[in-house]
Amino acid sequence: MIGTPLAPSAQDHIAGVAPERVYEPASIDDLIAVVRESARARDAIVVIGGGTELELGAPPQRLDAVIRTRCCAGLVEYAPLDQVITVEAGMTLAQLQHITGEHQQRLAIDAPQPQRATIGGIIAANTFGPLRTRFGSIRDVIVGVSLVRADGTLVRGGGKVVKNVAGFDIPRLVVGSLGSLGVIATATLRLHPLPETAASVYVRGLDAAQVRALARQIRALQLEPSVMIAQLGAQGYGVTFRFEGFAAGVSAQIEVLASAAGTLGHAWEVAAAPGLSELEAAHDAARVSGDLRLKFSALPATFENVHERVIRPLTELLAAAQCVWYPYAGCGFIAGSAAHDPGRIGQTLRDARAVLEGAEGSLVLHAAPPPIRALVEPWGTPPSAFAVMQRLKDRFDPEGRLCPGRFVGGL
Amino acid sequence: MIATSPGLPPDVLEALKNAVGTRNFLASPAELRTYECDGLTAFRVTPAAVVLPTSTEQVASVLRITGQRGIPVVARGAGTGLSGGALPVPGCVVIGLARMARILEIDLENERMRVQPGVINLDISTALAPHGYYYAPDPSSQLVCTIGGNVAENSGGAHCLKYGFTTHHVVAATAVLSNGEIVRMGSSAADPIGYDLMSALVGSEGMLAVVTEVVVRILRKPEATRTFFATFPSTDEAGEAVSRIIGAGIVPAAVEMMDRLAIEAIVASTHVDWPDVGAALLMDVDGPLAEVEHTADAATRIASEAGAYEVRRPRDEAERALMWKGRKGAFAAMGRISPNYYVQDGVIPRSEIARVLREISALAAAAGLRVANVFHAGDGNLHPLVLYDGNVAGEAQRAEHVAGQILETCIKYGGSITGEHGVGSDKAIYMGQLFNEDDLTAMNAVRCAFDPQSLLNPGKVFPTPRLCGDRPGPYAPHQTETAGLANLG
Repeated sequence: MIGTPLAPSAQDHIAGVAPERVYEPASIDDLIAVVRESARARDAIVVIGGGTELELGAPPQRLDAVIRTRCCAGLVEYAPLDQVITVEAGMTLAQLQHITGEHQQRLAIDAPQPQRATIGGIIAANTFGPLRTRFGSIRDVIVGVSLVRADGTLVRGGGKVVKNVAGFDIPRLVVGSLGSLGVIATATLRLHPLPETAASVYVRGLDAAQVRALARQIRALQLEPSVMIAQLGAQGYGVTFRFEGFAAGVSAQIEVLASAAGTLGHAWEVAAAPGLSELEAAHDAARVSGDLRLKFSALPATFENVHERVIRPLTELLAAAQCVWYPYAGCGFIAGSAAHDPGRIGQTLRDARAVLEGAEGSLVLHAAPPPIRALVEPWGTPPSAFAVMQRLKDRFDPEGRLCPGRFVGGL
Repeated sequence: MIATSPGLPPDVLEALKNAVGTRNFLASPAELRTYECDGLTAFRVTPAAVVLPTSTEQVASVLRITGQRGIPVVARGAGTGLSGGALPVPGCVVIGLARMARILEIDLENERMRVQPGVINLDISTALAPHGYYYAPDPSSQLVCTIGGNVAENSGGAHCLKYGFTTHHVVAATAVLSNGEIVRMGSSAADPIGYDLMSALVGSEGMLAVVTEVVVRILRKPEATRTFFATFPSTDEAGEAVSRIIGAGIVPAAVEMMDRLAIEAIVASTHVDWPDVGAALLMDVDGPLAEVEHTADAATRIASEAGAYEVRRPRDEAERALMWKGRKGAFAAMGRISPNYYVQDGVIPRSEIARVLREISALAAAAGLRVANVFHAGDGNLHPLVLYDGNVAGEAQRAEHVAGQILETCIKYGGSITGEHGVGSDKAIYMGQLFNEDDLTAMNAVRCAFDPQSLLNPGKVFPTPRLCGDRPGPYAPHQTETAGLANLG
């Protein structure tokens, strides 16, 4: 039985929209039954994992039912020797890391709020953390997926082995699709070995040009940090590196970096990094704090311009502003409070977006108060192949019931 | 199978010729025959016409014509594919992209390179070498295969264990849809908004769009690379060594395994001084120097503990290059030990290598044939080469049968029917064993979003022909529900 729907709570609101009903299926079979029932009832549905990214995208145009996946959180299959794991979508990142950690392995995704964020949510919202520097995002480690289609049909894409080119890449199509193509039921992911050791280095007080030069220098020196992120503070950017691997390699790389930073002609302070938890807290603040949160992307070589025309104007306008930049991935996050002067903030966001879109980048709102949402569309200009995207949505969700209107261009 | 092609109406031929110019248009029987197959030569179909466009606009003009007239189109790179992915269909137009072979832009700081689809895989790394950068995916055919073909097949290679496949290294593309519309997918910058069509395009075997420009991610060369070659009594010990090395937290750049027959063939063709042993591993570790010294020593020790006879390191770069040349030339080397061979490509979980190899050996023995194995052990990506003599009646059929049984074994162990060669025409019939009807319907939905007329590379990947038809209608109850059988959940 799919059971009686639950009464919605404030945690079930999607970008400010309350659902009529909430379902909390207890198994994948239940999940399928709930989706099937929603199809019968022509309900518009939104799926909630850990609820960490519910304000990403536009508010749903209609919302009848929310489906919580937190009770579909089981381990389906784990083959440590093959470094591959299959889990149900509602499993939290922390839970997955706990399971794999017992075998000295990890998922190389360090998304914020691991105790809440679920694997399904990480896939749907394409969330990641500082390890993106070396390991990429969830698209780089996803191997297979099972998806409940809008009509309740369960389909599989990909497989259980990492190397596999049989059929079209459904798993990667689902990444970042915000639940608009189907309900993720299970995912199969590639794991990496836990490093034997890790150590961090912190370089303080850099301007944007120096951040860029440092990133180039790391490449020139053939160093391979697992993490390089730049965080904006009162004294400019602080850049954190984390080196991981076998002890000999980690200490040698830190030595090379320390001596190189000293010879670069700037009075950069090279210090042992603050504890990792402190660092993660500072990073996550730029991802989860404040009522205005955004992600932006830009080519790494344009960082000075991005700093001048995107980061500086926005962080000056927002109260308690935070900013983090990933120099190799070429993306960053800004967060803060938009309590004052929404008109000016809205205009600044639009100007920033124009700068970024003009050079292949993007600006996406991950959260915004209603006065800002009224002025700024959350995703930006629909891309060149938008007609293909529309047809894709139409093929996967012909009745427009899967989080209608939340995704790019109103899909 | 050899099929001839119905011709196209004269006005279509004329329009195609005008679209690309006389020099880039082929329609004489002798010229067309060059394009009748790819690396899988058992299937041949002569196309109705071949165009060799030199620009995105020419490709768009061709596809406008074929789209309007409902003519099937098969795109083709260097034709090195081994699954019949570039096999023409009767009455089709082949778009050969070999004349779009320019490197357009190298952007070191952003770690991007923009190339036309006909650029040869290895030429990308060659162009980058002076700058200390390279392009990671390295299929064994990299001397001749093109990046456009790599995108179509999601090509791998020996070094994808650490660095991933084409899908991890292509960030954007300009492509032409089957109606002639030019679109851009992906972005040089991170995480472009919207559905990740770029990922769908990679590995779509030419069925979604024709790629006319590709932006690849380029990598800084690692500070150090250490190669070693280890010999073992059998593939059992070699498989165990692979499992233990990876279990020790080492991510080698490449781990290749060769069995006795493969070693024999490679020695005969390249004159490497490899001994006559049951199995050998060729392995690269790379990265920062201190890290690599550590992992190379550790891997060497683990290989010895797992039963290696000897572990040798190349004396110099020339010897290293020779070792890798031996490995990458392994398929061609089979000609030294067998008149004919059938290349198979399947994937199994890495931990099952030893067991599956024994099963394959038993399958071959039962058919009275020999199988040589040379493959990407770190990925569990098997390449069994079924050896046969085409002049002996029935051997070719027996070889094909064994090759099919090998795929079924891969499926049984939870693997895949292809790790890098693609499904193409060759393996479409096995897709129904790997995926069910609903899975294939979802894949077809992707295809229909790109190519509603299903004109691009028809007959590949799907086990039975599928059309797009109308988009799926509203919810219809399943028969078990109407019959009152299912009280779901």
